[in-house]
Amino acid sequence: MDFSYPAEVEQFRTELRDWLSANLTDELSAARRPAGRTDEMFEALRVWNRMMADAGWAAVSWPREYGGRGATVLEQLVYTEETTRARAPLPLNVIGMNNIAPAIMQYGTEDQKTTLLPRMMRADDIWCQGMSEPEAGSDLAALRTKAVRDGADFVVNGQKIWTSLGHRAQWCQLYVRTDPDAPKHQGISCLIVDMTLPGIEVRPLVTLNGDTDFAEVFFHDVRVPASALLGPLNAGWQVATTTLSHERAGAARLYAEMEARLEELVDDFASVPGALDDPVTLRRLGEIAVRIKYLEVLCQRSISATLHGGSDHAAFGTASLAKTVWGEIGQEVAALGFDVLGTRGSNAPWANYRLTSRSLTIAGGTTQINKNITARRVLGLPRK
Amino acid sequence: MNLELTDDQVALRDTTRRFLAERAPISGHVRQLLDDPVGTTEAVWRGLADLGTTGLLVPEEYGGAGMTMAEAGVVAEELGAALHPGPWLSTAVAAARTLTRLGAQGADAKLLTGIADGSTIATVGFLDLGGTPVVAVEQGGQVLLQGELPVVPDAAAADVLLVLAENAQDTGLFAVQTASSGVSLTSVPGIDQTRKQFRVALDGAPAQRLATAAPEAVAAVVDDVLIAMAADALGAARAVMHLAVEYAKVRKQFGQVIGSFQAVQHLCVDMYETVELARSGVIHALWAADANPADDPDTGERHLAALRAKAFAGRLATVADTAIQVFGGIGYTWEHDAHLYLKRLLSWSAFLGGPDGHLTELGARLAKRGQP
Repeated sequence: MDFSYPAEVEQFRTELRDWLSANLTDELSAARRPAGRTDEMFEALRVWNRMMADAGWAAVSWPREYGGRGATVLEQLVYTEETTRARAPLPLNVIGMNNIAPAIMQYGTEDQKTTLLPRMMRADDIWCQGMSEPEAGSDLAALRTKAVRDGADFVVNGQKIWTSLGHRAQWCQLYVRTDPDAPKHQGISCLIVDMTLPGIEVRPLVTLNGDTDFAEVFFHDVRVPASALLGPLNAGWQVATTTLSHERAGAARLYAEMEARLEELVDDFASVPGALDDPVTLRRLGEIAVRIKYLEVLCQRSISATLHGGSDHAAFGTASLAKTVWGEIGQEVAALGFDVLGTRGSNAPWANYRLTSRSLTIAGGTTQINKNITARRVLGLPRK
Repeated sequence: MNLELTDDQVALRDTTRRFLAERAPISGHVRQLLDDPVGTTEAVWRGLADLGTTGLLVPEEYGGAGMTMAEAGVVAEELGAALHPGPWLSTAVAAARTLTRLGAQGADAKLLTGIADGSTIATVGFLDLGGTPVVAVEQGGQVLLQGELPVVPDAAAADVLLVLAENAQDTGLFAVQTASSGVSLTSVPGIDQTRKQFRVALDGAPAQRLATAAPEAVAAVVDDVLIAMAADALGAARAVMHLAVEYAKVRKQFGQVIGSFQAVQHLCVDMYETVELARSGVIHALWAADANPADDPDTGERHLAALRAKAFAGRLATVADTAIQVFGGIGYTWEHDAHLYLKRLLSWSAFLGGPDGHLTELGARLAKRGQP
């Protein structure tokens, strides 16, 4: 049982920390959250993404041939810890780099890999992922957007929703039904779609706090060239699951983010006379602090299980719990911040987080569906 | 970074688990000893000693295994899962760590070798201080102790009691034979009948001075004990969760097993979440207990880890509450074992003060760091 990192990983940490402290500005840090992000801030972040790419810090987990560093799992974990603690913005293409790129690396043609990946890393192109639909939320495999082969093209019709960056994207990794007669998981294909094609209409969705984080995307007889297929025809579910199971070290984001939030919360409390003298507030802070530390170890256990031959069962169980716990902690932090600080501060950050933290137990799979899966897969409880 | 158990630790876990299941099961052993002040039998104690569990933390030159808290945690978790009522934690962790942490190994070598081979059972009298300090007076070339210890675990099982006592110069660590004159025990029943605890009155009890009691070393021992108790509680929570989940797979109502109902599934996942969070805390604390020998008690990871474990104890106890909820009426009976687990977890939650105080202390530490 050893929680320490090897010296070469600590060396990697120092190098990254030095680079971040030399290059990351307060303005960039301030732009790290999507809430209230202006077009100008978006462009500043694009420049930042290019700086990171040029310095070799944009996609450390990617292989070197695509511009990455081929970082080890522990280096990836340290990377996530350090960038989060330094308040570095996530890459604009965070979904693309973590979820779409691995699928392109595994299933893409040479041409797709060499043209698409470097531009994604530099945020030259923005990517979105067309998965959820109005009738396919938690039940993703029920998706109905269909693609019918017609000559050299697929003709796509349907609607996607909750598409992050849909209104800014040049490319969409789109999941479509290509065999309506097959069982639902077996009739899905994955297409890489140019968002400028005729027949695509994007309507930004305004979220409960007034931000535009995502969009609805409509497809009316969109002719997509057959070469846009990623992976074999009707193998879209496999492509999607590679995508979702990649990047275990990304779990470090869960605790590092909450550590940073808690630090900000305490800093903000310290500026309000008496706030930190209230034993009820201190008790709630203590409760959150314990859970964040335990979340950290939970994530480390998941990574350790992958690295050192622990069971897949254990790795899956802890990773899935970590997501649930992260959401719960975020909502507790938000509630405490709002309860004590209300709408204080420029842009009322805690009031805003009080609202947006609801998404933590919805996005990427609701906590309830997550619990259903854990009950069956980890605890072995029956469906009937 | 490697958080997996080693092969040796897995073997230790499995042999301990098997021994307890065969020789000290709840129905045939634990329940028989609920009203027994000693909490163990000659045969079961001998068996635990023969497995090497009593000497895990004793240095090799005193006949022990010279291992770390990680191994002690493996055993503690199994004892908790089996609701073991014996004095293992008092002698194998509290007393052994007191002697090594306070530098008293050499003062009475027989004591450590006796702890290691199980022939001596020791306990400590300084975990729960409340009364006035014990005073050491010299009389006719003998040291005699005077005072009262409000709560001493396993005192009836113990041959030797390790006590902190003051004289004019300093505070020292003393060994008292519990059979000697001037030592009297009164049972102090807690909520948990598998934990034996006593008020100990020392009225001119002859004692042997072993070492000077440096406050930071004493604090470190208290942390060790809290961390081992957290591992014990983890075992109890894991076991009662397991019982409830297995029950949900076979108990049928409305023509289907209750474990197929989402409401019940979510209760089960809630238990699993709490148990695995606790396991995370315990793994880290067991490591921290030995990672930094010169830990600063104010900022040290070991002390924080012990504090967190204590602060989480209240939440951990909800695992047994939830398990009883899953069992329904049968879980509410004396006959069913669920209440024994609930009580084990509640006594851990109440030990040295309930969770609120510890949570508030953690918050206050955070606040102190956050301020300029």
